[in-house]
Amino acid sequence: MRLSLSFAAALFAAAVSAVSTTGNRLLVILDDDGDKHVYSKFLGDLKSRGFDLSFKTPKSDSLSLFHLGERSYDHIIFFPTKTKGLGPNLTPNLLVDFLNAQGNILVTLHSNVAAPTSLAALLAELDIQLPADRAGLVVDHFHHAADNSSASAHDVLLLPPPKPVRSDVKDFFSAGAGPDDVLAFPRGMGATLGASALLNPIVRAPATAYSYNPKEQVGALTADDVFAAGTQLSLVSAFQARNSARLALVGAAEMLQDAWFDAEVTAAAGGSKKKTLNREFAKRLSGWTFQELGVLRTNWIEHRLDEPGDARSNETNPNIYRIKNNVQYTISLSEYAWDSWTAFAVPDNDDLQLEFTMLSPFHRLPLSWDTSRSSEAASAYTAHFRLPDQHGIFNFRVNYKRPFLSNIDEKNTVSVRHMAHNEWPRSFVISGAWPWIAGVAVTVAGWLAFCAVWMYSAPAKQGVRGDKKTR
Amino acid sequence: MRLTRSIASALLLFSAGVAQAASAWSFDDGSLQVVAKKSGDNVKEKLNSKTPLANPVTLGSLDTLKLGLTAKDNGNGKRPHQAFLVLQEQDSGLEAPFPMMVKENGKAVLQITHKDLPMQFLVAKKPLKASIVLASFGASQGLNAPAFEVKIGIDPNAPAPTYEKPLRYGKQPEIHHIFRPDPKSPPKVVSLFFTLLVVAALPALLIGWAILGGNVKHLSTALSRAPLSHATFFGSIVAMEFVFFLYYTTWNLFQVLPVMAAVAAVTVLSGTKALGEVQARRLAGDR
Repeated sequence: MRLSLSFAAALFAAAVSAVSTTGNRLLVILDDDGDKHVYSKFLGDLKSRGFDLSFKTPKSDSLSLFHLGERSYDHIIFFPTKTKGLGPNLTPNLLVDFLNAQGNILVTLHSNVAAPTSLAALLAELDIQLPADRAGLVVDHFHHAADNSSASAHDVLLLPPPKPVRSDVKDFFSAGAGPDDVLAFPRGMGATLGASALLNPIVRAPATAYSYNPKEQVGALTADDVFAAGTQLSLVSAFQARNSARLALVGAAEMLQDAWFDAEVTAAAGGSKKKTLNREFAKRLSGWTFQELGVLRTNWIEHRLDEPGDARSNETNPNIYRIKNNVQYTISLSEYAWDSWTAFAVPDNDDLQLEFTMLSPFHRLPLSWDTSRSSEAASAYTAHFRLPDQHGIFNFRVNYKRPFLSNIDEKNTVSVRHMAHNEWPRSFVISGAWPWIAGVAVTVAGWLAFCAVWMYSAPAKQGVRGDKKTR
Repeated sequence: MRLTRSIASALLLFSAGVAQAASAWSFDDGSLQVVAKKSGDNVKEKLNSKTPLANPVTLGSLDTLKLGLTAKDNGNGKRPHQAFLVLQEQDSGLEAPFPMMVKENGKAVLQITHKDLPMQFLVAKKPLKASIVLASFGASQGLNAPAFEVKIGIDPNAPAPTYEKPLRYGKQPEIHHIFRPDPKSPPKVVSLFFTLLVVAALPALLIGWAILGGNVKHLSTALSRAPLSHATFFGSIVAMEFVFFLYYTTWNLFQVLPVMAAVAAVTVLSGTKALGEVQARRLAGDR
């Protein structure tokens, strides 16, 4: 008994140390195990965060992403491999299936190694374009490191901490970084992103950077040769599918190597040596990709009538309301941060919006934080509003899709009925009806008077015209 | 001691500046030309790597912008690896690079027409900022100098270029349902005036009957001849009206119907007797 209890406790502890919300089985694709030691700090960090790492080469026979239709792994990291393709176990189709099954993928590239066709096809499927021949090198003659070989080759880019592109997006990747910190991007490949809303650049190249093919375009660079330049070039990119599965593309695998973790570099523009931010960035990027950051959860949803004095106001989530009723809607959300669920705070300049829809929204209102119903682990957002003067089947809908946050799409259906005949104001309080009501009253009184006169009238005196009419 | 150190550092700084100035990219013979398709109003300006042009040039829909310069590294004509003209849209910060054709001796040319520009530039409100970037590998300092501004001239006869922003997930505009206006009543004075008019019709009617000789003088006769029938009959007529009044104020149809049936039965039963009495009076010539 005691043994089984302790076993259960051990199981529970294992479950707790599994930090990601979607699982801790991590597949690492490497050329051979010898490559492991250059990424030892990065992989060690992952292991210490609770991931269960399995190392495989693309050619390995035992490699299979699915077993009996279920995912065998929760996450995959691709390190650069020399093979042209990745073999029959890692075809683009299988990788798309993996994303569809809510698996997460971190892809790293290197300028010296052509990207495997399988990965290039997967990225093309997601509307991420790699340079021609799947090879390219990003250089910047203005923002490079002035150490070692980069002093003349200009291929180690030094970048400021990656701030979000838009003001309404939460800063996941550079929070806490000082203004002096730099991110080293050594010998990397840049990509361009399509117009899809699911794609977001995390690190964009500086305005003066450009990508070229170091094997073919050494001497001159003609207009047709330039793949992309400036901020169009995305060095680290993020893709989040509609099912919230994530894929991150790191242009420079060297970024994640031990040599560049907490390395000291000098910028070309001069100045003192600066420490690189790479270790923290690698932690945050892998944390985001493997669903440890920016994962949202709906705890509960509640809507009810908000009419003071009406007994039905106590009923939660009724199926039916009346037009023009005042209602209250509350939704409780949590955000996962590394190892626990926390209260989700909507980023500045952004709003959590509630829609009241029948085919198209009749209302779209911001929800405001309700402190009385929030806690450390959950935040409640609420809105009060008046239902439209249109009856039908409506939905309360919260469709919160934002860059880097997992998708929330909640729909609660209610009927909205029209006014019952006894819910209108009485006609005597409507001043315009008074002449008509008076007309009815006068008719009634006239009818009674007529009855009395008809039954009880004595013949009039002679000389009155009416009398002559008697039969 | 301190003085010598500061002098030394100043010297160091100075020498560093000299070293940088000694190996840096620049350009000479910069020229900017806007060639209109129909020969005539051509614009020609000289470009300088130190100061940008003061006034923006206008690039019409059929014009060609021609840029020529000689890239120099440390004063000698040389081909840089990166020779871009970068156009920037001022509102969004969108940038597009245009690589120049560079010869071995550093002579570079570039031609831009409307066809080469992305759609976002054609609909730009403000002039585009153009800067020249010359840089290469090695120790030479690159040049990234603002050169001029380009205004995009749109052909008024051609359909205006349109640009649709791609979908981005974010906050959407708020929607507040516009309710139908509540029904309105006319001013109370008007309603009251017409109510009084209607009410005044009743006395007018009664007075009219009185003038024509209408009266209720036989009430005592009728009551003495058939007291019960007459009281019930007239009472039932009043009661029926009262039932209608209750239906209007509080009762529903299912409360009203049985009471109506009862009152109607009373009316019929008492009515035969009461109306028989009225007939008897008529036959007696009393009506």
